[in-house]
Amino acid sequence: MRAKRFQTPMPSTWFLQRAGYRRFMAREATAIAFAPFLVYLLVWIHRLSQGPEAFAALIEVTRNPVSVVLHSLLFGAVLYHSFTWFNLTPKIMPMYVAEEKVPDFWAAIFMGYLPWVVVTAVVLWGVLR
Amino acid sequence: MKKSNEALWWSLFSAGGVMSALFLPVFVVITGLVVPSMAARNGSRVTHEHFVAIVSWWPVRLALFGIIFLTAFHAAHRIRHVLMDLGWRHHGLPLIVLCYGGAIACTGAAGWILGTF
Amino acid sequence: MADRTITLEVFRYQPNGGSGTAKERFQRYDVPYHEHWVVLDALNWIKDELDGTLTYRWSCRMGVCGSCGMMVNGEPKLTCAAFLKDYFPQSIKIEPLSYFPVERDLLIDIEGFLAKLKSIKPWIIRQQEKSLDEGEYLQSPNELASFKQYSMCINCLLCYAACPVVGAEEDFIGPAAMALAQRYNLDSRDEGEDLRSEALGAEEGAWGCTFVGECTEVCPKNVDPGGAIQRAKVENTKAFYKRLLMPWGNR
Repeated sequence: MRAKRFQTPMPSTWFLQRAGYRRFMAREATAIAFAPFLVYLLVWIHRLSQGPEAFAALIEVTRNPVSVVLHSLLFGAVLYHSFTWFNLTPKIMPMYVAEEKVPDFWAAIFMGYLPWVVVTAVVLWGVLR
Repeated sequence: MKKSNEALWWSLFSAGGVMSALFLPVFVVITGLVVPSMAARNGSRVTHEHFVAIVSWWPVRLALFGIIFLTAFHAAHRIRHVLMDLGWRHHGLPLIVLCYGGAIACTGAAGWILGTF
Repeated sequence: MADRTITLEVFRYQPNGGSGTAKERFQRYDVPYHEHWVVLDALNWIKDELDGTLTYRWSCRMGVCGSCGMMVNGEPKLTCAAFLKDYFPQSIKIEPLSYFPVERDLLIDIEGFLAKLKSIKPWIIRQQEKSLDEGEYLQSPNELASFKQYSMCINCLLCYAACPVVGAEEDFIGPAAMALAQRYNLDSRDEGEDLRSEALGAEEGAWGCTFVGECTEVCPKNVDPGGAIQRAKVENTKAFYKRLLMPWGNR
């Protein structure tokens, strides 16, 4: 075994070193926002099942400015996840039409953004109709 | 070389990533914007009854369960790996128990709440 | 003739500590500034004119051999493609590629990488070789296109220096080697995917990657190792479910 030689150490704050690392961390950190949202979503559905009074009380809470701020932050995180996810999809699963590779831009539209618009429209239609 | 079970976790992570990317933005708009601004208004169509009717339909409940279950595993996997990248690389097992345990708990809660709706 | 100079702060290191000097230090050199000079030209000038003991690796000086990779102002770069004019008049800091053991000065030890490269068997594997009179293995342009990008790798190791997983996990096979594994896995002439899957599907293989993606950003040949590794994950996952659902299959 050779003597230990110098090797550039990786600092514990490595994720601040490069813009790409910071973007990566932001992308991964969206998951931290997902966890409380799932709990909130379950509480929301549970309140719904408990009857009109419980649901009305929940609505009162969601009209609070704190709730508006939290929802806005959450919306930012969720959108960042959606955009990064759709943009990376063609890199992970390249799209082929008649053995020709579809450019990443169009693949992201067909596999990500288009289904997203459809899903959003269907859900909103279902709720608002 | 250590053999890996990551294929299982990663497939759940990926499926959850797709589900959350497609559904969560509109969910946040509904819980954060549509409901607070419309449901409290008199004569609004977006009432308690309206939402109960939607969620009572079994395909909706099934879809909600799938979305919550997969998103929970998506988030658990990402949080686990982000913590590993932040230096918890050598606390593999506690992280697995903590993260996927949380996802299993969330899935169980979703099953109970949606199953008894 | 240049009347202007540019300062290079060069990492110096001798494993045995040299003659009473600090083991690791930065040495400043003033180098004539030419617009058409790259960092490698400046290092060669230092070695020729100022300090013959400066040690680094280089060969082709045209972005093909992949041996002159260094950290230039903290960024992994081929020094033959990093122009002084992009830094002038500021000084330039030159360090060896991150996360590799340093032999001396800017020269890194790549033995570890070569062992990792070998572990993914980067050559065409046939279960049964065709005999010579059966002719060559033909390939359509589309079959070539499916792996060609991954074959452009010059093993310059910039991607390793950009990868935080490499920095944290010594045994991680790393971007370039796994991109090459995909290069052979996707080759229509190759039948060795199962033999590579032990290394590629291990925790030290594709599953160690968290898709930071900076390997792809710094690659001078647009190989996209980040994408290659994610595709390896997809294939490994398919094989996993195939085994799960059809345990009687032969994989």
